[in-house]
Amino acid sequence: MSSRGTSAGPTLNFKAVLLGEGCVGKTSLVLRYIEDKFNTHHLSTLQASFVTKKVTLPDERRALLNIWDTAGQERFHALGPIYYRGSDGALLVYDITDQDSFQKVKSWVRELKQMRGSEIALVIVGNKTDLEEQRAISYETALLYAQTVGAQYVETSAKENEGVHDLFELLTQLMVEHHGSKQQNDTNALRLQNTGLAPNAGAISISDDTDADQESGSASSPNRSCCGI
Amino acid sequence: MANRAPMLRIGQQDLKCRQGCGYYGNTQFDGLCSKCFRERNDKQRKKQRASEYHEAANSAGGSIERRSPQHSLSLDRVKKKQQQQQQHESDSSPVATASTMPRKKFTVPAVLQKTLKNTFPAAVAQQQQHQPRIPSATESQFMLQLRQLRLPDDAKRKLKSEIQRLDHEIRKYMNNHSSKNVDELSDLVQNAYTRFADIVHNDARFEIATNEDRESAIDFFEKVVMTQNHNLLFSPYFTTDEESDIKVQKRIRQLSWITSKHLDCSIDEVNAEARDLVYNAISELVGIDSYYSPQEKLLCTVRCCRHIFELLKSSKGGPASADDFLPALIFVVLKANPVRLHSNLNFVNRFTIASRVMSGEGGYYFTNLCSAIAFIENLNNESLSIGADEFESLMSGAQAFSTPWESALLACESLHLISENMKCMEQLQKRNTAISNGIKDFERELLEFQREVTEKVDTVMAKAPLTLLPIKTPPHLIAQARAHLAQDGVEAAVGHYSSNLLSGAHNQHSLIAAKGKEKEKPVEEAQLEASHTLSLKDTSVSSVGRLSPLHHQLAQTDQLFASPLFNNYTPFDAVSLLEESSEHADVLMLGHEFQGGLTNINYDFDLSDQSGDNSVADDPKLNLDEFDPLAQRGIPKAPVVAETSVLDTTLDSLIDSDVPATGVLLPSPLKPEVANYRGFSNFDIPSISCNTGDFSSLNQDVNDPGQPTNNK
Repeated sequence: MSSRGTSAGPTLNFKAVLLGEGCVGKTSLVLRYIEDKFNTHHLSTLQASFVTKKVTLPDERRALLNIWDTAGQERFHALGPIYYRGSDGALLVYDITDQDSFQKVKSWVRELKQMRGSEIALVIVGNKTDLEEQRAISYETALLYAQTVGAQYVETSAKENEGVHDLFELLTQLMVEHHGSKQQNDTNALRLQNTGLAPNAGAISISDDTDADQESGSASSPNRSCCGI
Repeated sequence: MANRAPMLRIGQQDLKCRQGCGYYGNTQFDGLCSKCFRERNDKQRKKQRASEYHEAANSAGGSIERRSPQHSLSLDRVKKKQQQQQQHESDSSPVATASTMPRKKFTVPAVLQKTLKNTFPAAVAQQQQHQPRIPSATESQFMLQLRQLRLPDDAKRKLKSEIQRLDHEIRKYMNNHSSKNVDELSDLVQNAYTRFADIVHNDARFEIATNEDRESAIDFFEKVVMTQNHNLLFSPYFTTDEESDIKVQKRIRQLSWITSKHLDCSIDEVNAEARDLVYNAISELVGIDSYYSPQEKLLCTVRCCRHIFELLKSSKGGPASADDFLPALIFVVLKANPVRLHSNLNFVNRFTIASRVMSGEGGYYFTNLCSAIAFIENLNNESLSIGADEFESLMSGAQAFSTPWESALLACESLHLISENMKCMEQLQKRNTAISNGIKDFERELLEFQREVTEKVDTVMAKAPLTLLPIKTPPHLIAQARAHLAQDGVEAAVGHYSSNLLSGAHNQHSLIAAKGKEKEKPVEEAQLEASHTLSLKDTSVSSVGRLSPLHHQLAQTDQLFASPLFNNYTPFDAVSLLEESSEHADVLMLGHEFQGGLTNINYDFDLSDQSGDNSVADDPKLNLDEFDPLAQRGIPKAPVVAETSVLDTTLDSLIDSDVPATGVLLPSPLKPEVANYRGFSNFDIPSISCNTGDFSSLNQDVNDPGQPTNNK
């Protein structure tokens, strides 16, 4: 429900889509985040394609994170817009050992920028850092690309549980910032009641991302602060 | 699908009479049962008369009952229109028929229904104020739900008035706008939702309500408005929803050749459990159409998708990701081919609270459903990773195909049949074994019974041995008889008694003859020996022929020879039977070997005795001639005897043998009786055949082997 009570502080409702080629580890990331497990054979959840998680932000605000997994197969690529319609954030996952998956991320980014402009918070995720020796895309290349498109870049390993938690915290942070700026600009019916949110100055631009990144870097993920400018 | 109970797509409540009388209603009676419908009609007519409604309507109403329901319905409709006109003119209160509006659009042409309905400013509370109308089942349900909402009364009132307001707005839009646009309508509804959400969260009347109550108030608002206006808003006539419904349905039908392999999804089409879950998902998917409000449709979608996830979990062994889920959903949609798919999706998209389809589980699954349909509409050969030519030929139906799904459906039918047959066979087998068990038991019981009887008889025999008879044989008669026999020779043998008497003697004699072929003895010696052998032989015979009176005659003969061993008999049956046909020496051997055995108890018919008797009856005459001479002359003389024996069997022996069998089945054949038998037998020859057919045949059998041996 979009409308939240004003009584116990605002609970923000965010929707983030997971985009990326098949077999890059989208589902593993989600499962690691939700259940802190990697092996999918011992999980209590029925499914890993739609998960929600309550997140408490550093500034005591609470948010409900809806993570929508999408099918990564090429044949379903065209269905993307149906999923990221109305979403607040997108995780673009690729496999650092797979050049193709990185190219796929680029095409996703182009599409997202075209369809949603900068309404959507983008995080590019290089997964499978445990396979460092097979790395095909260097950290710098990915980071540079992310900066040029105004996205964040994070590297994770779902298997080793590296950076997964930070990734989602960063995403939440970004979406909160976006939301704050959005609320000033439009009166979207979806999230009308979040009056408790402090108005956050900032145009919808790359500079906004930079702010957010600095915040998140200082708040939660110091080891990834280098991915900011 | 065949053996699954179809899920009800219409709730039980919808089928019941709207009056709430408990009977099923009929759409032709405006959702009432026949009884309530008639009552209401009567009431209406009375009212019409009372208000001096013009006579035409009255007469039309009067004829209703005599016409068919359809006709009455159409008449009713005409009447309603007239009433509506009048109502508009006089601005009077809404007529009672407001409630008689058929709620299901498919019963009445949609356009007509809409125009009818649109003329009513029928908001919930307004209708409530005008008492004569009957609240429909759903409406009364809503009333109940409204009462159950945990809201302050003034908040409820506000909720009600908001519902009425939106209701009114929708109807106004549908009536007045000449160029209708469904997006405008959608905006109108969405704005109303936003406004109401605003009220719920900010209005003072809702202040004390908890967050959940607010949510439920919003849900209720949406549900009521959407259910009330489902007819107007669901696939409105100014949209192309219906065309796209048909288009997608046709498309799915064309794509019936798609298998789970094409979609690369992990559904095992042939596995029975998987099929079950697929059926569950399909029935939920199809069930979407049967709900009125968008949120119920969404819930249905969620249930459908949960089934799919269950299915995937069982096939994958872990939680399914979207990579697995979407293909599976597409597969389910393809196999379900739900009706009015586009209309349903558009209805939800347009008229539910926007955030519902944008977030939350329902939103996610709904989005997946939308994308599945988008995929189906746009799929080409590449998306199924098959060649363009193949795709074309499959789509045009030029290429034959067989999908595991359909084959499994067919196979299931035959499998079903097979299993039915198997069940039948199993039952038959059970019965068969039961029967054979019964037979075995019966056999066992028979044997047991036989044994018991034998035992009893034996004990009785042991207790009351045949010593009874010897007493009655005066010893001096033996000498007389012997003397007589010796004198009369063959003629004497004709006498029945004497033949019987001597049969035993002959028996002995033949045995003796067999035994002591080489030896030539004087008669007395032979008789002595015979008495020895007889003691063995005779016991066997006596046991065999317990039922035969002849036996006792034999016993008498035995007594004649005064065997001391007479009383211990050992049961042996076969000997006497075999005796006639086989060689004597062998018989004797057998007799010795098998003495005391119960093994041959089945042969304890009189046959042996009969045969023995027959042959004995025959032989004695022969032997009588040679009785003395035989001892002297030895065996070679026997053939001469045979000729007469044959003759005798045909004439006398048959009769002799049978008479005792039929006449007396129990012992104590005294001599006078024997004499009686004789006379009896002479008179009643015809009776032989019917009573003792077996015996005659046996006699033949006995005689047949006898003849060759004799003829030799």
